[in-house]
Amino acid sequence: MSSAQSEAFTNAPIDPPETPLPALTAKHGRSFWQIVSRSYFRRIKNQIATAYVVLLAVVAVIAPFIANGRPYTAVVDGKRVWPLFRMLSREDRIVLLAGVGFLLYLAVRFFTRKRPPETRTPVRRIALLILVVLGLVASGGIMWSMRHGDNNDLMTREDYKGITPDYDVQGAVFPPLSWGFQDSIYPQSPETQFADPSKEHWLGTDESSRDTLARLLWATRVVFGIGLISELISLAIGIVYGAFMGYFGGTVDILGSRFIELVESIPTLFLIITLVALLGREIYLIMIVLGLTGWTSIARFVRAEFYRLRKMDFVAAAHATGVPLTSILFRHMLPNGLTPILVNATFGIAGAVTIESSLSYLGLGVQPPRASWGSMLNAAGSPGGIFHFWAALAPGIMIFFTIFAYNIIGEGFRDAIDPRLNRLE
Amino acid sequence: MLQYIVRRLLLMVPTLIGMTLIVFMMARFAPGLTGGGQFGEGGGRNARENRELARVNLLKKLGMMDADGKELPLYYQYWRWLKGAATFQFGESVKYGEPVSKLIGNALPVTLTMNVIATLVVYGLALPGGMLAAVKRGKWFDEIWSFVTLALFSLPVIWIGNLAIFELAYSKNLAWFPAGNLHSADTRGFTWLQYSTDYLWHLVLPIAVSCLGGFAYLSKLMRASMISNMYEDYARTARAKGVSQFYVVVRHVLRNSLLPMITVFALVIPGLLGGSLVIEYIFNIPGMGQLGVTAAQSRDLPVLQALTFIGSLLSLICLLLADICYAIADPRVSYE
Repeated sequence: MSSAQSEAFTNAPIDPPETPLPALTAKHGRSFWQIVSRSYFRRIKNQIATAYVVLLAVVAVIAPFIANGRPYTAVVDGKRVWPLFRMLSREDRIVLLAGVGFLLYLAVRFFTRKRPPETRTPVRRIALLILVVLGLVASGGIMWSMRHGDNNDLMTREDYKGITPDYDVQGAVFPPLSWGFQDSIYPQSPETQFADPSKEHWLGTDESSRDTLARLLWATRVVFGIGLISELISLAIGIVYGAFMGYFGGTVDILGSRFIELVESIPTLFLIITLVALLGREIYLIMIVLGLTGWTSIARFVRAEFYRLRKMDFVAAAHATGVPLTSILFRHMLPNGLTPILVNATFGIAGAVTIESSLSYLGLGVQPPRASWGSMLNAAGSPGGIFHFWAALAPGIMIFFTIFAYNIIGEGFRDAIDPRLNRLE
Repeated sequence: MLQYIVRRLLLMVPTLIGMTLIVFMMARFAPGLTGGGQFGEGGGRNARENRELARVNLLKKLGMMDADGKELPLYYQYWRWLKGAATFQFGESVKYGEPVSKLIGNALPVTLTMNVIATLVVYGLALPGGMLAAVKRGKWFDEIWSFVTLALFSLPVIWIGNLAIFELAYSKNLAWFPAGNLHSADTRGFTWLQYSTDYLWHLVLPIAVSCLGGFAYLSKLMRASMISNMYEDYARTARAKGVSQFYVVVRHVLRNSLLPMITVFALVIPGLLGGSLVIEYIFNIPGMGQLGVTAAQSRDLPVLQALTFIGSLLSLICLLLADICYAIADPRVSYE
């Protein structure tokens, strides 16, 4: 407000206004999350990074349907078969189920959000109904096939493609990329190994004549899964630990802080390679190990937030009305201190992706033939050996983009929720 | 001051004991122990006996069993391990058959040299860089700088290291740098000066690659620290009494902005130590990291235990150093 304006304001007559105040419009005030998301999506780099991570998630869920050596359907020896669906493993089906469930959740949230009454139409309800029915049918199908599907398929990609003459295959419908993560070119020869990009293989092939693009797509599952699950474990441990430390303070706080210092004094990567070497190189174990070593920074943040919040009136009020302790901690206090924790978790995911790719690169992580960007890099050029530029380019760039995207999201989010930074810039 | 250091050292004791407990327990309860045993190593009649004998051998080597094959009580095992660790005796390596202390004695100086140089480089570049970005805050230089440092921070070492070797040290491309190891294959007849130049020349690429992340992180921190200090009252006072912007930044703001950089020193060294795992593997440098990777690949338990122990010890020492430096730099920290 300029000085002239403020002067006019203070000198204005204080008589009651002649005309009544305009009626309140249907516009609602913006909530905290609306303000944050508006300020977040204003930056173009945040938009791109978010779109990239969403794309990563989508590819991770549908990878078997876009890169697979088995056709969706074909007529083999006069019988219609569905090889791709039969070949899905139990994990694939669980991932699919989770994907459908998440989409359904989003649809329900979208179609039932609060809107002014005059814009409500029955179309939305019908659309929601159709979507829910479709989703339920899809999950039902997946569940049914979990019990009835089996992996006893003796035919190879070449059989379905009609390259080998053992079967009579008619009308096979292949996915857009007809290579799976473990389909090698048949027959293999030195020329098909580490081939440069070509029309058939857009990103070339790897040491076992497998398609690099297909493996790249399948590896998104490892990266996305490890980032998500290990961070969820870290969050669970860190939030509970930090909440009790911050809320009780005193001896609990001192002892807890000592233990955090203790865990932090052990170099994380050394701890992780020791654990991985001893426990085995199973992908779920790596998720758990990463989760068990990454919670300390979250616990620190939660502790600081709870320490600040516990003096607030609403906590005292909840306490006075007899709300149980866990409810005070996790339903009243946690939502008020969640934002810095989420920022921290985003950086944590970037860290987990870095560590997973390093582990796989060192041969201690995801084991072949399962695809991981780190192990693809290792195959493309181990120390002292020949470095295959094309085979290393794609996984390297993907690791870089993924870590970069998570870091951009974390920073953008932090800037969006920190009003001090906004004021300064 | 001395009192402060002594108090700080005493506080370290429980942490140290807890840390040794974790390192010891981790190995003690590892299911991996039961799977040990190379082909025909134990001298038994079949695979199962071989495995069992190998397990017993390993347990004996680790001091978990007495000569009769009876497992010792847990506290006694821990006590034996602790006694060994106190004098840096960690038993024999399963893979190399040599004392672990000797292996580490060879590897530690290499890693320490690398990390000390890397730390100097990181601080030397990050301080002016962050300062510049803070002074030009909000301008296009700062925008680009922020973006580039975030990109550097996100660059995966496993990729950029390999790429650097391929582009800059591969005989068919630019062969400017050696591709790995610490010195040339034939160093006979080198003078002292020649040898150290050769040594440093071999360290250029690994150190450059290992510095990227730390440099980006520190310069971001420096920028944030400078910016928050520029809005402090003392900076405004200085400006109000007519001190030029240059002197405000260099004389007043810079000094106070260095405090968080000292605190972070305790994190930089352990971070570089962890990073050396990958760097040393890629560049084939016989340091702690490479030792750790080969030990993990061959499940060499005593070596892994010792490495984790020494790594933790180093980071505790760094924490202590950082605290002491902080107490010296900031008179508000009380020594009592």
